[in-house]
Amino acid sequence: MIDININGNIVSAKAGEMLIVVADRENISVPRFCYHKKLSVVSSCRICLVDVEGAIKPQPACSTPVVHGMKVQTQNVKTKNSQKSVMEFLLINHPLDCPICDQGGECELQDVAVKYGSDISSFSEGKRVVTDSDIGVLIQTDMTRCIHCTRCVRFGVEIAGIMEMGGTGRGENLKIEPFLEQGIQSELSGNMIDICPVGALTSKPFKYELRSWQMNSIPSIARHDLVGSNLLVQPYKGKVKRVVSADNDLVNEIWISDRDRFSYESLTHKNRLLKPQIKVQGRWNQVSWEVALDYAVKGLNSHILNHQKADQLGGLVSNTATMEEFYLFKKILTEVGCDNIDYRLNVKNLDNTIILDSNIKLDALEKIDYALIIGTNIRLEQPMINHRLRKATKKGADVDVLNVMVFDFNYSLHTENIIAPNKIAFILAGVLKSIMINNGQELPDYLIAINVDEMAKNIAYKVLNSDSSVIILGEHIINNVDASTIANLVTKIAQSTNSRTLNLSITANAIAANLVGCVPQNSGMNVNTMLASDMRGFILLDIYPQYNFHHLGAAIKAFEKDDTFVISLNSFKDDIVVGYSDVILPIASIYETSGTHLNINNDMQSYIAAVKAPNEVKPAWKVLKVMADLLELPGFNYEDSTQVLTEISYQSHVSHTHDINGNLASYHNGISVIWQNSPYSIDAVLRHSRTLQKTKIGQMNNAYMNQTSAKALKVSVGDKYLGVFVVITDAVADNCVFINTNQTINIQGQA
Amino acid sequence: MISIKARNQIDVWIAKYPKDRQSSAVMQALKIVQAENENILSASTIQEVADYLDMSGIAVQEVATFYENYNYKKVGKYVIRFCHNISCMLNGADDLIKHIENKLGVKTGEVTLDGLISVKKVECLGACVGAPMFQINEEYFENLTVDKIDKIVDNLK
Amino acid sequence: MNEVCFKNLTKDQCWSLKVYEDSGGYSAWRKILKGELTPEQIIDELKLSGLRGRGGAGFPTGLKWSFMPRHSNGQKYVVCNSDEGEPGTCKDRDILRFNPHAVIEGMAIGGFVMNASVGYNYIRGEFMEPFKRFEGALEEAYKVGLLGQNINNSSINFDLYTHLGAGAYICGEETALLESIEGKKGQPRFKPPFPANVGLFGKPTTINNTESFASVPEILRCGGQWFADIGVENSGGCKLFSVSGHVTNPANFEVPMGISFKDLLDMAGGMRDGTKLKAVIPGGSSTPVLTAETVMNMTMDYDGIEKAGSMLGAGSVIIMNESTCMVEVLTRLAHFYYDESCGQCTPCREGTGWLYRVLKRIIDGNGRQGDVDLLLSIQNKIMGNTICALGDAAATPVESFLRNFRKEFEYYIKYRKSMVKG
Ligand SMILES: Cc1cc2nc3c(=O)[nH]c(=O)nc-3n(C[C@H](O)[C@H](O)[C@H](O)COP(=O)(O)O)c2cc1C
Ligand code: SF4
Ligand code: FES
Repeated sequence: MIDININGNIVSAKAGEMLIVVADRENISVPRFCYHKKLSVVSSCRICLVDVEGAIKPQPACSTPVVHGMKVQTQNVKTKNSQKSVMEFLLINHPLDCPICDQGGECELQDVAVKYGSDISSFSEGKRVVTDSDIGVLIQTDMTRCIHCTRCVRFGVEIAGIMEMGGTGRGENLKIEPFLEQGIQSELSGNMIDICPVGALTSKPFKYELRSWQMNSIPSIARHDLVGSNLLVQPYKGKVKRVVSADNDLVNEIWISDRDRFSYESLTHKNRLLKPQIKVQGRWNQVSWEVALDYAVKGLNSHILNHQKADQLGGLVSNTATMEEFYLFKKILTEVGCDNIDYRLNVKNLDNTIILDSNIKLDALEKIDYALIIGTNIRLEQPMINHRLRKATKKGADVDVLNVMVFDFNYSLHTENIIAPNKIAFILAGVLKSIMINNGQELPDYLIAINVDEMAKNIAYKVLNSDSSVIILGEHIINNVDASTIANLVTKIAQSTNSRTLNLSITANAIAANLVGCVPQNSGMNVNTMLASDMRGFILLDIYPQYNFHHLGAAIKAFEKDDTFVISLNSFKDDIVVGYSDVILPIASIYETSGTHLNINNDMQSYIAAVKAPNEVKPAWKVLKVMADLLELPGFNYEDSTQVLTEISYQSHVSHTHDINGNLASYHNGISVIWQNSPYSIDAVLRHSRTLQKTKIGQMNNAYMNQTSAKALKVSVGDKYLGVFVVITDAVADNCVFINTNQTINIQGQA
Repeated sequence: MISIKARNQIDVWIAKYPKDRQSSAVMQALKIVQAENENILSASTIQEVADYLDMSGIAVQEVATFYENYNYKKVGKYVIRFCHNISCMLNGADDLIKHIENKLGVKTGEVTLDGLISVKKVECLGACVGAPMFQINEEYFENLTVDKIDKIVDNLK
Repeated sequence: MNEVCFKNLTKDQCWSLKVYEDSGGYSAWRKILKGELTPEQIIDELKLSGLRGRGGAGFPTGLKWSFMPRHSNGQKYVVCNSDEGEPGTCKDRDILRFNPHAVIEGMAIGGFVMNASVGYNYIRGEFMEPFKRFEGALEEAYKVGLLGQNINNSSINFDLYTHLGAGAYICGEETALLESIEGKKGQPRFKPPFPANVGLFGKPTTINNTESFASVPEILRCGGQWFADIGVENSGGCKLFSVSGHVTNPANFEVPMGISFKDLLDMAGGMRDGTKLKAVIPGGSSTPVLTAETVMNMTMDYDGIEKAGSMLGAGSVIIMNESTCMVEVLTRLAHFYYDESCGQCTPCREGTGWLYRVLKRIIDGNGRQGDVDLLLSIQNKIMGNTICALGDAAATPVESFLRNFRKEFEYYIKYRKSMVKG
């Protein structure tokens, strides 16, 4: 540590750190435009010039390393003059249209201008004219306001991992723009809006709506994935108008994915369900909450509870609910004597599931030196986790991939192995065998006959020879014939090499669902058993079968059965839900309800409602509570959701492993279909986000397969397979169809 | 498509730089490709260069718009680049530029109707002791006079 | 006269390997290859010689070479700056055309001293003739085994390549030049870190001007003291001066440092047509202009020119006679910097355009009261506030023209016409 003198005060600092970092830590204000703590330093805007004793010229605080005994003045005349000069230059070509600018009130240029600018500029030439380019549906540009700080350009290169914005031309004609009309396609693109210090890049969906000071900023949590990025939700007159990121270095740093930023648009979708309704003698009626709930409770009683048939009641819940909702849902079922509960709707075979710990923190991911990624298009499916890995690769980490298809990574991979789904377990068994031989461990029976090929050997070598590695298992494996075996092999490999594991096979708030026990215990039935049994009733929380279920046909059949009483709690209207339900209760969506999200770090992140739900729509936790009261169940005296949270006992997270079964003896034959909702269609909120749906990622809707598979399936380009357009490409492994769809599953077609 | 010949020429430049630094060859690659496409760069040629050098389109576009030697508008078969900086100016460059404009019937920045010649005013070309001077395609012509210019220009075919 | 870079200027095929070797060329390099010269000895000779960087800043070359972390692991580079683009400067072009082997030998020696096995010569894109000459010379040198891997079994490696520019004055700035070699826009990097630590491709790099490199072989052949003695205190050796403008015989002259301005003017045949000297820019467009009175007793060396109120720069002497309208000249220079600003940093990007526009409106007869002070204030806001020296280079002429010839500007504004030309 060294001492330096800023404005006459001695402060201590690390030798070599930049002056601006020291000033920020000491709360000494130094203006900046090009400097951004998460980006490289270019020192081009020159607004941070300060007076350093001994230097003739003023020095830029953002790029001046501190040395012991340095004396700095951030307020004297010399500093002020430089900063005023730079300010004047920045303003001569700036439109000064603050009254109509979306950035007004939160503009770094405006703030500094007020503080440092001189009152009148002596500039009287015409202002520079800059034509705008349309850079896509998410970001609005007004490049006359651009001050050429290049933060957005550096963001692309350094954070998003693809250079999409650039500075073309030179001198006064320097223009920040994307390549032609290609626009911006990164899954993180919206962050450019946050980091642009002026109103050159603003949110397109938000355009001209409001001034920033008219809105509140309410801290919240993103709910589309396991990260739980921290957000600020900005409502005006009861409507969410904008979402921006909030800092949390342990979770999302300062970034959020586009889907977290723009999904609020769904809240005002015309398909929002606004009134309770009940089906009486085959006809739907909109009714009051009293009537609807009364009808629901009576229905439950008359169909099930009065006959002591609670074991023929099923409770199914989407993984998007809040932790409190999971808990109340489970508690109601338990109280009425029902153990049939599940959230794992998309799993084909629940005897063959992935049980895998996540035992590495998000911020630790960027410090690993090796990652093995299995079965995920991680960049689009888990943007924020991918971002951490990208940072690790920038520091030299190697990444190997075992996937069924070539995906677009934004960092270079050590190896990218594209293998058929039915071979993944064998590769991993080879890896484990190779490791155990290396460690001098005795081989278990199931590994004796396993062949260790080059791929397995290379991976084994990398895991063995890295100091901090992680093995990441993704969603594409959940319905693999060897799913549980793969998870076990991963666990064993990690144990014998001191690696960490990250389980990305579940999404949204599923960790909370697990924690509060939304999976059957004792004699309870799991989802697939329920669908195959003779059920008398269901309570369905936020479920849209065509997107949620693996066994879709069975699900609809089960719900539609004549004497089955179905209570649905949903946020959006849906024809299929209408078709089978007896009661539909409109529930609040994200940002309209308070609750808790449990992320992959095991952080419990609670949020309050940022806006009230529209009209008669109620938060699901309240609906569940009232339903419990009407059922005369004890222990539901909650006044708000925090009381629910305090009640949730912290069940320790037990990790269990299966024994590896004998399946490894031979490959399973046939073509596996991996069905993934495309990244902007994974939940109802995203599916109703108008603008996101218009992006390239939102439009992903293809069934990818190679020539051989296409032949075997007798399809060609232009055909549909399982209702999705066929794309024939070498990028897919043998014996595999990889589907990314934003559409309803074709009911008949689904295997 | 970048022709095989152009690829070979570009590869000669790539070989000068360390491995994985093929983007160092971008300036020459653009010149080579431009020469093959009537001396104009288009968005698609820029994209081709980007693909060939494994760069992003916008990174190549940055380079292509930063340096002065690339064209986006039609130029003549012969491009006369007339220096109008200080030493040439002191030696009458402005009058000579007017002369050439009158002679060819074009303004600087324009191309003659037959597409043969275009004239451009440029900054110092580093031949100040030979002022006034201009460059036609690769060649320098120094100590220009009206007579000399007439002879040179009349010989362009 | 013509003792170092221009030694062979008058000989037939002076650029050939044969002429170069016949006059002692490559003898220093061969000595090195035989192990008869150590890096330390070379640096000492260079320090003794008083050679200062010929690219404009005049930094002592021996000292610069000693800054390279020659013992550090990994690749290092030497880079020659042949981007020559400062108005008034045209000496490097002639070195490349007429004495390319001196540049090659100088760079090879630099590579040896700094333990850099690869060199690049950055030649401006328009210099096709010099480029071809230099490439031809490279081919000759490779052919006789003076370059390459394990040269003459010395275990010394040195590969030398040319990189061609594509038209951007700013690439003469050393860090912009490095960016340009890396295939990017030529935007200067901020320093620190300096190229000696983080340079080309992130590796330690030394950059010198063409003339600086070309001077090294002769210094080693004849001795640092010999070179120093040619010049004067603080300005060792001889220097190429490009004398252009209103003189009878504009040309490049290699003359001892410290020669009087008058003598240099005489060498160029004096003022053209017997006109009267009005002003001189002694070191290229970015050095302050001097009036006729101040130059008459000036000597042509770093201190001499500084004493007269300007800088030696790249030795580009622009001579203006009484018919010159200083408003026109300054407008042209302002246009140059406006056109050539890289656009990266605010004061230069915005300020150079502003300066030019104010001057342009004066020239167009639309000048306003107070414009002279406005120009002074704008240049003052640029000066010292930019990343690289182009900002200062753009500001300097404005300040010096207005200081020395303010009346002409005020006249132009008031009467909407040139005081000189009417
Ligand atoms: C705008 C600008 C342009 C420059 N142009 C040149 C140039 O064309 N040639 C050159 O040798 N140095 C040029 N320089 C100076 C270089 O940055 C650098 O100082 C020089 O190449 C170092 O070599 P030397 O020490 O041998 O002089 C320029 C500097 C600036 C700021
Ligand atoms: S001073 Fe001008 S040329 Fe130099 S970095 Fe700044 S904008 Fe670029
Ligand atoms: S913040 Fe330091 S120069 Fe921009």
